[in-house]
Amino acid sequence: MPVPAQLQFFVDPSRCIGCQSCVQACSECDTHKGESMIHLEYVDRGASVQTVPVVCMHCEQPTCAEVCPADAIKRTGDGVVQSARKPRCIACGNCVVACPFGVPELYADRQLMMKCDMCYDRTSIGKKPMCATVCPSQALFFGTREELEELRPQSTPTNRFRFGEQIITTRVKVLAPKTKAPPPLLDVTAAMDDRPEVRHARLRVLGGAPAALPPADDPFAEVEV
Amino acid sequence: MAQPSGRARATAWGVAATATLAVLIVAGSRKLAHFDAALVGYTFATLFAVFGITYRYVMWLQRPPTRLYWRRGWQVFFAARGLPRNVLTAARRAVVEFAANRFIFVRGKLRGTAHWLIMWGCVLGAAITFPLVWGWVHFETVPGKIDHYRTLVFGIPAGEFAVHSVLAFLIFHGLVWASFLVIAGVMLAFRRRMIDQGAAAVQQFGEDILPLVLLLGISVTGLMLTVSYTWMKGYAYSFLAILHAVTVIVTLLWLPFGKLFHVFQRPAQLGVSFYKDESTSGEQARCRRCDAPYAGATMVRDLMTVERELGFRYELAGGEGHYQEVCPRCRRAMFGLAQSALWASAPKGEEG
Amino acid sequence: MAKIPVDELAITHAYGPHLSENVRGKTTEQPDKLVKTHCCFCGQQCGIQLKVKQNEVIGFEPWEEFPFNRGMLCPKGVKRYLQGSHPDRLLTALARDPSSPSGFRPMAYEAAIERAAREIARLQEAHGPGAVAVLGGASLTTEKTYLLGKFARVCLKTPFIDYNGRLCMVSAGVGNKKAFGIDRVTSPWADMLETEVIWIAGSNVAECSPITTNYVWQARERGARVIVQDPRITPIARTCDLYLPVKPGRDAALFAGVLSLMIEQGRIDREFIDAHTVGFDAVAEYCKQWTPAHTAEVTGVPERSLRAAAELWGQARSSFMLHARGIEHHSIGVQNVLGSINLVLASGRIGKPHSGYGTIVGQANGQGGREHGQKCDQLPGMRDISNPEHRKHIASVWGVEEASIPGPGVDAYELFRKIDAGEIKALVAFCFNPKISLPDSGFVARALDKLEFFAAVDFFLNDTARHADLILPGSLQEEDEGTVTQVEGRVIKINKAIDCPGEAREDWRVVQDLARALGRPHGFTFSGPREIFEELRRASAGGISDYSGITYEKLEAQMGVFWPCPAHDPASGAPTPDNPGTPRLFLPDSYNPIAKGAGRFYFPDGKARFVVADYRAPADDVDAEFPLMLTTGRVVSQFLSGTQTRRIGPLVKQYPEPRLELHPRLADKLGVKDGDWTTCETRRGTITVRAMVVTTIRPDTVFIPYHWAGEKSVNRVTVAAQDPMSKIPQYKVCACRVARAAAPPAYSTKLEPQQ
Repeated sequence: MPVPAQLQFFVDPSRCIGCQSCVQACSECDTHKGESMIHLEYVDRGASVQTVPVVCMHCEQPTCAEVCPADAIKRTGDGVVQSARKPRCIACGNCVVACPFGVPELYADRQLMMKCDMCYDRTSIGKKPMCATVCPSQALFFGTREELEELRPQSTPTNRFRFGEQIITTRVKVLAPKTKAPPPLLDVTAAMDDRPEVRHARLRVLGGAPAALPPADDPFAEVEV
Repeated sequence: MAQPSGRARATAWGVAATATLAVLIVAGSRKLAHFDAALVGYTFATLFAVFGITYRYVMWLQRPPTRLYWRRGWQVFFAARGLPRNVLTAARRAVVEFAANRFIFVRGKLRGTAHWLIMWGCVLGAAITFPLVWGWVHFETVPGKIDHYRTLVFGIPAGEFAVHSVLAFLIFHGLVWASFLVIAGVMLAFRRRMIDQGAAAVQQFGEDILPLVLLLGISVTGLMLTVSYTWMKGYAYSFLAILHAVTVIVTLLWLPFGKLFHVFQRPAQLGVSFYKDESTSGEQARCRRCDAPYAGATMVRDLMTVERELGFRYELAGGEGHYQEVCPRCRRAMFGLAQSALWASAPKGEEG
Repeated sequence: MAKIPVDELAITHAYGPHLSENVRGKTTEQPDKLVKTHCCFCGQQCGIQLKVKQNEVIGFEPWEEFPFNRGMLCPKGVKRYLQGSHPDRLLTALARDPSSPSGFRPMAYEAAIERAAREIARLQEAHGPGAVAVLGGASLTTEKTYLLGKFARVCLKTPFIDYNGRLCMVSAGVGNKKAFGIDRVTSPWADMLETEVIWIAGSNVAECSPITTNYVWQARERGARVIVQDPRITPIARTCDLYLPVKPGRDAALFAGVLSLMIEQGRIDREFIDAHTVGFDAVAEYCKQWTPAHTAEVTGVPERSLRAAAELWGQARSSFMLHARGIEHHSIGVQNVLGSINLVLASGRIGKPHSGYGTIVGQANGQGGREHGQKCDQLPGMRDISNPEHRKHIASVWGVEEASIPGPGVDAYELFRKIDAGEIKALVAFCFNPKISLPDSGFVARALDKLEFFAAVDFFLNDTARHADLILPGSLQEEDEGTVTQVEGRVIKINKAIDCPGEAREDWRVVQDLARALGRPHGFTFSGPREIFEELRRASAGGISDYSGITYEKLEAQMGVFWPCPAHDPASGAPTPDNPGTPRLFLPDSYNPIAKGAGRFYFPDGKARFVVADYRAPADDVDAEFPLMLTTGRVVSQFLSGTQTRRIGPLVKQYPEPRLELHPRLADKLGVKDGDWTTCETRRGTITVRAMVVTTIRPDTVFIPYHWAGEKSVNRVTVAAQDPMSKIPQYKVCACRVARAAAPPAYSTKLEPQQ
C-alpha cells in the first residue's frame, strides 16, 4: 500500500536535543533489519550541543537513484525513495557519495546499501515512521499539513534546497520561519563556513512586550578561569 | 530518458545476439539434424529472450553511471601490472560470492538458503535443457551396443555410457534433481516472505512473487511429466507437456522485464569490486570543509562527471569547486546549520 | 560477613554487567500480545506497549493514545525491552561463597528465605529489633513500597527504613510541605502549553526528562519565553530565551536577587500575597541584602541577566516554575526550593489557569514512592509517623497496637553511619545501589563490609549486592503489576507482561515469604498487588495523598488518576465513587482536609507560607587548593547507577564511559586536550576519565556523569554533606582540582566500557 499523500514528514533540526531516540528506534523497524538508518550528528560538539537529525528527504528526482549503476534505487509512486533493491545493488557506494544530504549507508559485509525508507513497513499501513513517533522534542514530525500548522504557528515548511547551482525538491519538508514572503529556499552550501553558536535562541514571541534580553553570545565571557 | 540512437544500438545488439544464437543452433544441431521438432516452441522463446535480454542489457549499459563503471571495471581489471592477480581474485570472488552466495547468507540465513537452492536448481536445469533444446547435445544409441548411449556435443561424439548405469539414471533425471532444489528454495523463499514483516512491507507481486510462482510452476509441471511417464503410463502427458511448455516460455519471455534479470546484471558486482579496491587503496578525496578523507579520489571525480552527464549542477557558485567535495558527515551538519541560519536571519517579532 | 567474597573482576566476569544481545535483527517474529504499560525508568512514566512472545519481551510498540507522551519515548524507553532475557538476569538465589571462583553459589529459593529469616531473627534477638534495617527504592511500585514500609514496622518492628528517593526528590518534598503543606506538582504538564513564561531551574530537561522538552517547546511555539538556570548549556538552555549561567550551589541567592528586583520594581501580586499567604515580610526583608551587584557576584550571573529575569518573570500573566536535582542536590537544597517557591508565591501565579509549579521527579515512582511509607518519617498517605492521630489510623488499618509501630528512623545516609557505628547489624535492600549512588562511596563500601548479615533483593547482581551474604532474585518491572505515580501526580497502572523467570519472584512475594519464615505472617498474606492496593487505599484515606477513590479499573479507564482522589467527599462525607481525581491543586474553590475550607493551601488557615530561603555557601567550597567546582548529573542514555542501562548494548554504545566536561579556556590552562585521560581530585579521592572539551560549561566548573561503578564512579569523590532538613546529599557541587593524567587508569585495559 502506498504512503497516503496527505501524511507528510516535517523536520525541524533546531528542535533536536540529540537524545538519539530516533537512532535507537529506527533500528526497530522491520524493513531496517536491526540497523539504524537515521543519522544524528553533533554539528560541532566542542562548540555547541546543537545536533541535527537527518532522514532521507525523498527527493523528487533522487541523485542517488540516477547515479546508481545497477539501477537499484527506485522511487515508488507515493514519493518514497526505497532502499536499494537487494538483487540488484552491487554495493558500489555511488549513492553514498552522491546524496546531497548524506543519507545512504553502505553495508559492505552484505554487499548492500541501505537507507531510510520512511519506515515503509509502518507508513504504508498508515502508521507514523518510528523516529517521528518517538522523537521527544518532535524535531521529527509526521502528520498532515493542518496538524503541523496548528502545532507550529511560527513555522512554514519548505522542501526546496540549494546545493551549489543545483536545486533539489523533496517529499520531506523542513521548517523555516514563517514570513510574509513565500517559503524560502534552504541554501545548504551557504552554510559551508558556518559554525554553530554556543547559544541559539530561535523562536520569537508572538505578542506582548518583549523584554530586553541579553544577547545570545558566549554567556561565560565574564567567568574567570 | 533513452536517446533514439541508444534504442537503435540496443536493437542492433539484440538482433545480432539473436542471429548469432540462431546460427549456432543450426550449426550445433548439424543443420537441425539433431534438433527435436517438439521443442521448437522453447527454441523460439529462447531466441526472443536473448533479444530482450541483450536489448535491456545494452540499454542499461548506456546509462552514464553504468557505462562509466563498466569501462572503469575493465580498465582496472586489465591494468597490465595486476592482471594475473586480478584473474585469481576474480575467480576467488566468483566462488565465494556467486557459487557460495556468501553475501546473501550475511543478509539472512533463510534468505541465503532459499537463494542458493533456487540458484543452483536453475543453473542445473538451464545447463541441461538449453543444449538439448538447441540440439547442441544429442544422445543416440551406439550401433551394435543396444544398451549403450553415445553423447554428441555440437555433433561431435563425447563419450558413451550404459543405459542402466547409475550415471545414466543421474543424467536422465537431472531435471528432477534441479526441480527438487528449486521447489525447496521457492518454499523457503515463500516462507520468508510470509513471516518477515520487513519483506512483506516492500514486496511487489510482479517483482517478487511472480518469479517465484513461475519457477515453482516450471518445477512442478516438469516433475508431473516425469511422474506421468514413469508411474502412470503417460496419463495426461500431452496436456502436462503443454502446461510445462507454457510455464517455461512465459518465464523466458519475462526474463528481461522482471526480477530474474539480476542474473545478468549481478556479475557487474565483480567489476565493481575491482574498481572499489582501486579507489580504496588509491588517493583519497579529502573533505573541503573538515579535511577528513571520505572516498576514493577517482570515484569522486568520476561521480562528478556522471552527475554532469545526468544534468545535475552541484558546482559551487563562481566555479569555486563542487559540492561533491564535501564529505557526507559535513553535508548533514551543513543541513542543520543552514536551517538554523534561516531562523537567525528571520526578522524579529514579525508574524506571518 | 558482608565483604566482597572474591576479586571484583571475577564477579564482573561472572555476573556482568555484560551487554544484552544486540538489537532486534529478527524481523520474522510476531508477538503473541501487546501489553500496555509504562517505561521502567524515569519519573515521566511514558506509556509504552511491550511486544510479548512466549513469556519473553521481544520489542516495543509506541502507545500513541497515552496522553502524557502520545508515543514519544527517549532512547532508554526504546531499548528497555532488552533488559529481559538478559544473560546476567538472576534466576536463582545466590549465597556468598569465597571458595567459588565467582564468589557466589546458587541456592534454592526456599532455603535462602529460611536462612535470611534465621539470620534476621538471630541478630534481632541479640541486639533488638533496630539491629535490622530495610532500604527500598523509588523504582518499586507503590504497592511494594507500601508493603515494605509495613514489613519494616510491623514484621521487623524496626524504625530503620529509608529509600533511594532520599537522593532524589526529598528537598523538593520538604520545601513543598513547608510552603504548601502538600508535596506534589500543582498541575498537569498540558497546562504548560498556554503559559507565558517557563522557568527551568537546575534541570537538564532534554536528557533527564526528555518528553518534557516537547511541552516546553510547544509552549514556546505559542509564544512562551523560557528561562533556564544551569551551569551548563544543556540542549534546553541552548535555545532558551534567557540563560542564567549560575554557579553550582548558588540558586537560593539567585532567587533572592530576582525577588528583590521584583519587589523593588513593584512586580509582585500584593493582592494574592495578602489574601493567600503568610510570611512575606520576613522574606522581603531578607531579600534586601541581595542587590543585583551582590547577587551577580555570588551567583556568577551577570546583572543584566538578573534584571531580564525579574522583568520576564515579573511581567508574565501566567507561568510555570520547574526545578530538579540541579537546585535540590545541595546542602541548602530545601532553601533553594523555597527560594523558587517564594518567586512563585510573590507572582501570585499558582492555582490559576496555565500556571504551575513543581519539581520534575527523577525516578519511576519518585512521587508514589515517597507517599506511602518507605520514607523513614512517614506512614502511608503522606502521614507523619510522629503524629499520634496518624499513627492511630494506620495502626487500625494494619490491625496492630499503635504503640507497636516504631517511631521515626533515619535517612539512608545516616543509616550507613549507624551501620558503620555498629548499631545496625543487618540490612535487607531492595532496588537500591548505594555503593554507586551515595556520595563518598568509599565510606559506604566500608560500612557494608561491617554488616553481619546483608540480603539484597534484585534482578541483576548490582555493585552493592556484591557485598551481600544472600541475594534473592526479585522481579523486573515487566514481571509484575501495580501502580506508580508519575511526575504530574498522575497515578498509573503498570501491567504485567511476563512471568518471573527461573526461581525469581515478584518483590512483594519475597517480602511476604520473609514475613512467613520469620513466623509473623499476619498482614503479609496478600494474594497480589490488587489486594495490597485495596489496603493501601484504606490506609491513605483521609491523608494528604488520598488514594481511596482510585481503583485499578478507574486507572485503566481514565489512563491514570491524579491524586488526591478521596472515596468520600471530604466536606460532606458522602461517597464519591466517580471522583475523577485532582489534576490541579490550589484552585480557588478547592477543598482540602487540612484547611477544611479555610483556604486553598494545606494548612489549617488555608494559606501558603513564605519561608526565608537562606543562602549559605556550599559545604566543601572552592579554595586555593581545590579551585574548581565539580558537578554531577545524568546522560540521556543511562539511568541512575546503570544496573539496567549499563547492560543494554545500544545504550552503552551511545555513551560508553564517563567523561569529564570542561571548558576550552580551562583546558588550555591545564594543558588538557579533548580525549585526554584527566584526573579530578577532591578531598575524598580521585577519579580518572577522559576529557571532553566543550564550550557549553562554565569555565570554573567541571562535570562528570554518575552512572558507572568502581573506579569510574564519580561518587567516590563527591562530598557526603547533606541538607539538614531533607538529608539530601550535596551531589551537585564540591571543590576539586583537575590535571592531565600521567598514565591511563588501570581499569582502561581490564574492563569493558560498561563495567
